[in-house]
Amino acid sequence: MHKILSVIKREYIQIVRTKGFIIGTILGPVVMAAFIVVPVAIQFISVDQQERIGVIDETREVFMELDNKLDQKLKDGTRRYLLEEFKPSANIEELLQELNKKVLNKELSAYIFIPKDISEGGEAEYVSEHVSDFDKRGNINQALSSIIIGERLRGEGLDPQKIGEYMRPVKLTTKKVTKRGVERDTGGTFIISYLLVLILYMTLIFYGQIILRGVIEEKSSRVVEIVLSSLRPFQLMAGKIVGIAAVGFTQYAIWALFGLAVSQYSKGLMLRFFPAAAAFEMPTIPSYIFIYFVIFFILGYFLYATLYAAIGSMVNSEKEAQSLVMPVTMFLIVPILLMLFVMKSPNSSFSVVLSMIPFFAPILMLLRICVLLPPFTQIAGSIVLLIMTTLLMIWLTAKIYRVGILMYGKRPNFREIVKWMKYG
Amino acid sequence: MNALEIENISKRFGDFYAVKNLSFKILKGSIYGLLGPNGAGKTTTIRMVMNIIIPDEGAIKILDGKMDEGMKQRVGYLPEDRGFYPKMKVGEILLFLADLKGLKRQEARKRIDFWLERFDLADWKQKKVEELSRGMQQKLQFIATVIHQPEIIILDEPFGGLDPINTKLLKDIMLEMRGKGGTIIFSTHRMEQIEMICDNICLINKAESVLEGNLNQIKKQYGKNTVVLDYEGDAGFIKNFPETDKIDDYGKFMEIKIKEQTDPQDLLNKLVGRIKINKFEVREPSLNAIFIDIVGEKNAQDTVSH
Repeated sequence: MHKILSVIKREYIQIVRTKGFIIGTILGPVVMAAFIVVPVAIQFISVDQQERIGVIDETREVFMELDNKLDQKLKDGTRRYLLEEFKPSANIEELLQELNKKVLNKELSAYIFIPKDISEGGEAEYVSEHVSDFDKRGNINQALSSIIIGERLRGEGLDPQKIGEYMRPVKLTTKKVTKRGVERDTGGTFIISYLLVLILYMTLIFYGQIILRGVIEEKSSRVVEIVLSSLRPFQLMAGKIVGIAAVGFTQYAIWALFGLAVSQYSKGLMLRFFPAAAAFEMPTIPSYIFIYFVIFFILGYFLYATLYAAIGSMVNSEKEAQSLVMPVTMFLIVPILLMLFVMKSPNSSFSVVLSMIPFFAPILMLLRICVLLPPFTQIAGSIVLLIMTTLLMIWLTAKIYRVGILMYGKRPNFREIVKWMKYG
Repeated sequence: MNALEIENISKRFGDFYAVKNLSFKILKGSIYGLLGPNGAGKTTTIRMVMNIIIPDEGAIKILDGKMDEGMKQRVGYLPEDRGFYPKMKVGEILLFLADLKGLKRQEARKRIDFWLERFDLADWKQKKVEELSRGMQQKLQFIATVIHQPEIIILDEPFGGLDPINTKLLKDIMLEMRGKGGTIIFSTHRMEQIEMICDNICLINKAESVLEGNLNQIKKQYGKNTVVLDYEGDAGFIKNFPETDKIDDYGKFMEIKIKEQTDPQDLLNKLVGRIKINKFEVREPSLNAIFIDIVGEKNAQDTVSH
């Protein structure tokens, strides 16, 4: 036990010290934060610059109302859009050319052309140097629509007083039904499921690769026989896998602390910069999801770590390992590809069967738990299957490992590997 | 009292015998040499002793026990395929390996400093292993082998890659350890290394032991039938002398096996005046000559029997 502990300690210290780990640990939350904050921030971001927008209003009726409607304010309280009317002259083409030039010269950030027949279905035009500013186009489109639709309704003789009321948009609230009752869900389930599964997937591959590289390094540097003069191959393998698991937990712990801090303070922080974000609700993670995440991470980690260790012991170089790693990586990629399907119909028999397959279970069962808590028997069943498969893999890998780790030269074929298993 | 007893071990890989019916015993407090050409089965034998390879037949007893967890603490092993974690610092890797051998941290630190000093590596303690030359790494590996003061040390080709100065240092340390009651087993394919320090040897060729026993006795057994000649000039004519049986000519140095019932003095008389003689020594054959003698004969027999 003391020896395994020594190996665990070495692995842990060596990995935690690497630049890769430090950078990954820091960048992880930054990327995560970016995932959460950036879309929200973009939604509520307000450009700190006034924009001059030209308007050619052929109807001669819309401009005033548009100017009233487009009253978005900048932080300092001034108007975001400064509208400037250009009277349609006889030669409309000439006017358009002139405005195009103004846009190119940055005198205008954009201009809007409102045709005479806009009420009858004529298309308004929005002309700008870059047309990817969804926010601005959205504002203009909304304003124009409500003006024109209001116009039409008035034309039909409706009470102008009531038109505003008629045109109130419909609000769609998403709710999630669980055993505990009905809860509001602002898309948080989707984000959380997606994020958790992605984290699991990335860390399984990441730590699997670390183990693979570690075993290959031990072989290619020829240190393994020296180490084995003090301990058994299984102790070395176990120490390595547990040591790197400890690295993984360290990383998770750092991330979790960061996440906690973010969820504590981020709202206040966001409100300071984007007051409009008040409407946004931070998704919360139910504790049972968290517990299952840890369980499936541990089980998935040991299953895949063992596979990667077996591959590492069979080959002489990382290059040689690639073709053998492919099928293992596929086991991880397949559930990611099936993610959307399982999210859409988490209780279909196809999803249930897939989530019971031990190699897919860590990702797909966790996903099902996030989306719609499956019956406990299914969860327990998949965990039991996963544990049994992992134990079987550890048993087989130990046999492959103890022979392979000292074998140099040609990569063994399948028949030879079967023979190794019989040796032990 | 024996430190190691090997009884009739064999190991086959497929149809190929790596080691066949090998037996020998090693006395405590002695230096034992495993000798043989490349591919003779030395490393396989050592790996079987270390319980890395399991023999198909036969038994191995080490310090009256089996090579298990506890035993590994009492043994130091320098494998033929050896290296270190390239990114670890010199001090760290030694501390790690000492830790695996169950050494207390403080004691380990003290010994590491002692050995680094002795091998002139003290300035490298904080350097990464990958920055060291091959020879330095080799010295480091030797330190790792002896850091826990094992009762037996097993060295597979310990001198390979060492310069003469460090070869001498290593030999001195080995003799020192024997003086303190330690047992040393080492393998080599270079005869002169064995000749200088070994008490007993086992000569392996093609998986089988061809000669085993006390080095002095073996040499005596072969008698003083050898003349070592240090000369200048063209000595090619010597092979035509009826007194000579077998000649190894190295250009300026010649090992001559003379026929039985021949007086070496006659040979000397015939040489005087024809070549310049710097040294003329009558002695036991060198291990090299014995080796070629036996292996050559054996190979000859094989050819006949086929």
